[in-house]
Amino acid sequence: MNNYRIGLWIGVALVALASLAPLGLNDYQQSFLLQVFLVIALAQAWNLISGMTGYVSFGHAAFFGVGAYASALLLTWGFPWWLAVLKSAGIAALLAVPLGFLTLRLRGPYFAIAMLGLNEVGRIVATLWVSVTHGGTGLTLSPELLPSLDVKYFTMFGLALGATLLVAWIHRSRFGLELRAIREDEEAAEMVGVNTTLNKVIAFVLSALIPGAVGAVYVMYTSYINPSSAFEHARNIEMIVVVLFGGSGTVWGPIIGAGTVMVLREMLWAQFPAAHLAALGVLLLVVVLYLPGGLVSILRDRQRSRPDARSGESP
Amino acid sequence: MSAPVCDPDHILCAWGLTRDFGGVQALRGVDLHVARGSITGLIGPNGSGKTTLFQVISGLDRGATGAVTFDRESILGWRPSQIYRRGLARTFQLSRVFPELTVLENIVVAGSRHDRSVTERALGLLERVNLRDYAAVLGKNLSYGQQKLVEFLRVLMSDPALILLDEPAAGVNPTLRQTLWDMVRHLNGLGATFLVIEHNMEVIADLCSEVYVLSEGEIIAHGDFAAIRNDERVLEAYFGKSRRHGAA
Repeated sequence: MNNYRIGLWIGVALVALASLAPLGLNDYQQSFLLQVFLVIALAQAWNLISGMTGYVSFGHAAFFGVGAYASALLLTWGFPWWLAVLKSAGIAALLAVPLGFLTLRLRGPYFAIAMLGLNEVGRIVATLWVSVTHGGTGLTLSPELLPSLDVKYFTMFGLALGATLLVAWIHRSRFGLELRAIREDEEAAEMVGVNTTLNKVIAFVLSALIPGAVGAVYVMYTSYINPSSAFEHARNIEMIVVVLFGGSGTVWGPIIGAGTVMVLREMLWAQFPAAHLAALGVLLLVVVLYLPGGLVSILRDRQRSRPDARSGESP
Repeated sequence: MSAPVCDPDHILCAWGLTRDFGGVQALRGVDLHVARGSITGLIGPNGSGKTTLFQVISGLDRGATGAVTFDRESILGWRPSQIYRRGLARTFQLSRVFPELTVLENIVVAGSRHDRSVTERALGLLERVNLRDYAAVLGKNLSYGQQKLVEFLRVLMSDPALILLDEPAAGVNPTLRQTLWDMVRHLNGLGATFLVIEHNMEVIADLCSEVYVLSEGEIIAHGDFAAIRNDERVLEAYFGKSRRHGAA
């Protein structure tokens, strides 16, 4: 059985487990899993633009924040929860079209800083636009507007699964190959016929759509949103850490990274409440220094070292 | 401003190409006409502007003034990907394979999105240069010579009418070099046109029907190799006045 089939079966098993989990879990455990799915979906979104094209974004939480606010307002205005999720994702994606054309002209640290600035702009707009967002006070959603925990759990699970399948499909597609060529050498990619601008913008829009939807479900989960929690910089860091931990530019990296980081964080938080973030930071440093390809690279290197690995044909 | 009309016998024409880098003129009114179906050489001392000329023609440098037509269509200001799809491809002076893509992916990515047999075509090209067994190897794990060869195969995926080769044999071992030149001759026999930057004068003399000599951003001579090898301006550009006078 080749790696693709093994991955497929592991994926099916995980989906089955996650689908049945609410039957045997208490609310705390279900909420924890919901947060793992949230991180997986966000990490896959970041992976799509930064892992595949090499354009490292430090501000994807901006789209999460836009989705969260859009959802909160739509729910308040009487829209059903599912339509609020769809519309919020659409708004984040629409916003990403002009932003993509503008920011993706920049490269390396300039793009990263521009995205960081975008997140700050989002936070400031949410703070100052008091008539709509209630400023720093934030928006509180009444419970009758919100779906049940099971619905939120399965919606977040669906987003994580959808984001993963999207990344898996792109990874195996011609589009994904072109994105990886851009990551390797953008000029050379352009020189062999890859329309680098269009490819990057499409990847950017898709990578904004996912956080838009995730933010929309998140606000239903917390029933409250304010500028700090919507445009939280720690969320940007979390996306990056999870992907680097698991393996950038891969399908399984964000899943392995999210699972490991979330479980470790929970365990370290219980053991060392004052220093759990520092401990996590040290662990990340070790992974980045000694496993630059992330945890998934251990499996990949084992596969590549097999004698028959050189004769593979599929791109 | 519309470009001047290019003779139908010429696949590539450039008129008055000028490229200025903050006061340093890398190209000064370059005129160049590449005959359809030819192998044309472009030579000149280091820093004479040869690679800059390739950058401008291939669309990677869009800051030049003047006019360039390819197959009678003005291409100055086009994106490199548009120019490539139109049928003009190029290689780089230093190998630029995609290091984390496999050899096969490196070549497939240069093929058409609509070509269903793109993988078979890429494998066929690898077979021709005995690199078929390396299809699944990452680009970064090839030798430098193999990387240059893969880069050359990559540009063949679009069946280009004109290929610009920027020192394709530099750093390549003699066996692979021979393979490369044999392929150039073979493809030229099938109708492809080449514009080649090369420092090895034996290769230029052997391959090229016409040679352009660039010095300090200007075309100082052009014609067949026999004519330019004794041209005074060419000798001066390569060896300097004192050497010429000393030799006389």
